[in-house]
Amino acid sequence: MSTLQKSAATQSQKLMIFVLSMSLYGLATLFTELIPKFQVGLVEFSVEYFLFIPLTLAMLFDPLSAALGAATGELVFSEIMLGQFGGLGELEKFLTVTIGVYIAGRLVKDPKNRMMVGLAAITGTAAQLLMGTIVDIAKVQFAVEDFEAVEGLPESVFATEGFAFCNDLLFSGILFCLLPTLYLVPKLYGKIEPLLGMAPRTRESLASGLSPKAALVCVIGFVCAVAAELAATAGMSLIDWEAEWAESGTALAVGMVCAAALAVIVLLVMKKNKERNAAC
Amino acid sequence: MEHMMSKLSENILDKFSMDFLRNQVLKNAYGNDDTIIAALDPRILIAWYLFFGVIPWFVNDLPFLLGSFVLVMVTTLLARVAGLVLFLFALGVFSQTGYLFLATLLFGGNTSAIAPLLVLTLKVATISLASVTVFSGLDPDRLSNGLMWYGCPERLSFSISYAYRMLPMLMEEFQNVLLSYRLRGNPPAHDTLTGKVRYLIYQVKIIMESFYPLMLNTAKRSRTTVEALELRGYRYAAVNKSVKKLKLSALKVTDNDLLFLAISALWVALSILFSTLL
Repeated sequence: MSTLQKSAATQSQKLMIFVLSMSLYGLATLFTELIPKFQVGLVEFSVEYFLFIPLTLAMLFDPLSAALGAATGELVFSEIMLGQFGGLGELEKFLTVTIGVYIAGRLVKDPKNRMMVGLAAITGTAAQLLMGTIVDIAKVQFAVEDFEAVEGLPESVFATEGFAFCNDLLFSGILFCLLPTLYLVPKLYGKIEPLLGMAPRTRESLASGLSPKAALVCVIGFVCAVAAELAATAGMSLIDWEAEWAESGTALAVGMVCAAALAVIVLLVMKKNKERNAAC
Repeated sequence: MEHMMSKLSENILDKFSMDFLRNQVLKNAYGNDDTIIAALDPRILIAWYLFFGVIPWFVNDLPFLLGSFVLVMVTTLLARVAGLVLFLFALGVFSQTGYLFLATLLFGGNTSAIAPLLVLTLKVATISLASVTVFSGLDPDRLSNGLMWYGCPERLSFSISYAYRMLPMLMEEFQNVLLSYRLRGNPPAHDTLTGKVRYLIYQVKIIMESFYPLMLNTAKRSRTTVEALELRGYRYAAVNKSVKKLKLSALKVTDNDLLFLAISALWVALSILFSTLL
């Protein structure tokens, strides 16, 4: 039994890690969603990243479960519960958070090595922020018509996004990711594992080190996030074509209106009939 | 500067009135079961959302966008969404496009930048209002059932149900831990500017530190949860087809759902007609 626990987490332990990471990070993101941002000039002071929670958990436990739990927690608590679900954009956020936390968790071989913990924390945060920045720039370029034509817009997008990246990494990254992780990981190490019925991670444990396979999975994940954006461009041309076709035929639009109106009337009549039957 | 700093610390402290947050979230989740939107079939609503959450992003036709915006605004009003959520919506829309406009002006763009940005704002607003309607208007259990019917992983529906039930408890626990830290701590004096900065740092540090006991407590709780789930055979039930069928048999499409869809279609068709006539 003990050898089995040492090598890897069992299925139910993975579920425990998932639930733990989900509820903690979800709670934290709910707060960040509610605290208004505070701006001095262009420098934004926000408690944006409680990313230290999943980072800490990923370094102590199975990284993949912790990463998936954190991303799900953010999705459910702060997006779905507050009705802020943004469709396609959330997929990108989900993937970037998962990849960033997963990379950080895999990098740490020995949680007692503070140097390694700090390096992994900042690497994971930087990876997450960088992917977010790239996708953000792409999003604005696709959504705004005649992006290049608007004077000053392209430069301002690159400048604001680039600045936001540096600002987030230096301010939120160090204050809210690096320092708390450095404080929490050694303090929790050896204390929190028994509560979930596991042995603490050691240098010999299986789930450590960034293997080529893990790196490949990360790359595939990022490609998926970018693919969502590419699909968006493809979808754009598709719909554009559709709009043209609608413009060419007012008759078609009239037909659509008639069909929809007919459907409404039929449904209303059906409902009336049913009510009358029920009343009789 | 001093005024700003005091405003900042006041802002953060104000928002940490946990009871307010808890009430708003609970009200949003369980407070409006009797609205027209909440009575609709979740599967129909999710399909409806897929249209209004994706299509406006790709269309640049102004009458169509305006029409969709008016429609989702009406449905949001029908869903009687909590005030906090609407406030966050307004904040979110502004932070997505409003600051971009200011930056454009800063980099020498003129008022010609307004038109494309207005279109962008309209898109963002339509999409977020559609999501507010569906995700805030629906009961969490109905929502997770609907998602499950569409083949979403069981784990997501589990997370939604779990989150709504656990959140009030978690918030209370966080508040208790935070208060006990405050009771034991000695906050620095905050009459001068440096004192205020130190006070703010002190507050943030306490919040960070209170995650240490919270993590340990939540670890215990999640072990209890998972073990209770295991006792009831959760992991086998989650992948079992007949269990899923039993769970989803309560969903039923009625005339009201179809009527809702038809009226939406009519409105969209009218806005398309309008744009072709222009």
